[in-house]
Amino acid sequence: MRTTLAYLGALLGTNVKSSLALRGAFWLQAVLMLLNDLLFFCVWWIFFERVSSVRGWTLVDMYALYGFVAFAFGFYAILATGTRDLAQRVIDGELDALLPQPRAVLPRLALSRSSAAGWGDIVFGLVLLGLGSQLDPLRWPVLLLLALCSGLVLAMSCVLANSLVFWLGELDGLPRQLFEFTIVFSTYPSALFTGGLRVVLFTLIPAGLVGYLPAEYLRRPSLAGLGLALGATLAYSLFVVWIFGRGLKRYESGNRMSLNA
Amino acid sequence: MSSTRLPPAPPLLPAFVQLVRVGMRQTFAQRASWLGRSVFLVLILVIFERLWRAVDAEGGLPGFAARDLVWYLAITEWIAIGMPQPHLSMEAEVRSGEIAAVLARPVPWLTVKLAEALGALLVRMSALAVAGFVAAWLLAGGLPREPWGLALALPLGFAAAALGTLCYALVGLGTFWLGDATPLAWVFQKLCFLLGGLILPLALYPDWLRAFAEWTPFAALLSGPGCLALGADPASAAKTAALLLGWLVVVLGLLRWGWSRALVRLDGAGG
Repeated sequence: MRTTLAYLGALLGTNVKSSLALRGAFWLQAVLMLLNDLLFFCVWWIFFERVSSVRGWTLVDMYALYGFVAFAFGFYAILATGTRDLAQRVIDGELDALLPQPRAVLPRLALSRSSAAGWGDIVFGLVLLGLGSQLDPLRWPVLLLLALCSGLVLAMSCVLANSLVFWLGELDGLPRQLFEFTIVFSTYPSALFTGGLRVVLFTLIPAGLVGYLPAEYLRRPSLAGLGLALGATLAYSLFVVWIFGRGLKRYESGNRMSLNA
Repeated sequence: MSSTRLPPAPPLLPAFVQLVRVGMRQTFAQRASWLGRSVFLVLILVIFERLWRAVDAEGGLPGFAARDLVWYLAITEWIAIGMPQPHLSMEAEVRSGEIAAVLARPVPWLTVKLAEALGALLVRMSALAVAGFVAAWLLAGGLPREPWGLALALPLGFAAAALGTLCYALVGLGTFWLGDATPLAWVFQKLCFLLGGLILPLALYPDWLRAFAEWTPFAALLSGPGCLALGADPASAAKTAALLLGWLVVVLGLLRWGWSRALVRLDGAGG
């Protein structure tokens, strides 16, 4: 276990170094992503200038919600961009090179790519979480833990969407769209969703786990809320790892001659 | 000494039309993709129908009924989701070096990308128009107050999506300098959202921001056609059409200039 963690740490370190090697591109991507987030959030500033609250959700709650989602996306972009095109990589037989190696396939795949843009999301997410928690430093350790949970769930949702390829074959852009659904739904107040849609948003499209659960904790802090968020993250992650493992057993080589240097 | 004569390049227009047809066929074959986009559009409309009803229940936005705002969003989202993003394949081909092999073909690489994207646009926008119309009708509980606006919005929506596609191609040329056009595409997309009035009509914006947005192509891209759901005004439709045409000329000029610079850059950096 310790050697595996050391290996993954080294892989991550290499990725980050690789991103930083092109220093200009790194900063440009991170800053443009920060700008991207800022522009998107402007719509909510304008909205809440006109409307004071929506079913009890105010601008401060939106800071928290967006903070968690932005942090989660940054976490995914830095640590799990390798899962973005997982379905295509399966179709292309790219797993051939990974399967005979002694390390677990999923973390290796996830960490095989890293996007510098994710750092912009992390910064934006932390700023919004600061505003959402009304700059209360006592809440920061828990907020950070919940933010990491959001990131893990988002990354796992990408793995799950892409794992469909093991059963359905060529998927076109479906996994990316399912992933986008998760991001989009996680950025709206949970109070808007009731009934069956709410069930979907906590299961099939885990937007509820990425945004609402942690944001709800911030609105009404409780041990039960924290436990629910942590437990749900653990259960969802284990489920996705299990599904991916089942899919991997169905994987057939792409029969491609290539060299993985 | 013998000289090798290159075969003459094919006439560009018939080749362009053929490539558009190829793009249409490719997109039509990717049923999961355009069906997924249709579902995405419907889900967005569901979210906002709930949002606008919730806002209505708490006093609403003066002058804007939830029903009309659902139709406004149906049009703006139809355009935003329907416009293809050629920068993705452009970026992939530049980064992989595949472009070096494609450059030798008689039809310019950028023309191929634009034609294929235009073909994709026709299929995607058609599928989304049906899904968006049905969903908006059901969610809004009927047509907008002045339904003729929808007839005006239809051709303008296609034209706006075409302009947006050209803008994405311009973003794709950024790969030659940045190595990754995706962050630029995000910024372009979010500028569309904000300055185009994707979610809120520009009339609800602060005066200074509305005035600024109207000087950009984004207002003509989304808000122009979208506002026709709030009132069928032929003068406003004509103004949007003129703005779209003007911006189309500007973006085509920028594409031409950017492509010539990109070729120089590629030559210098290697394919």
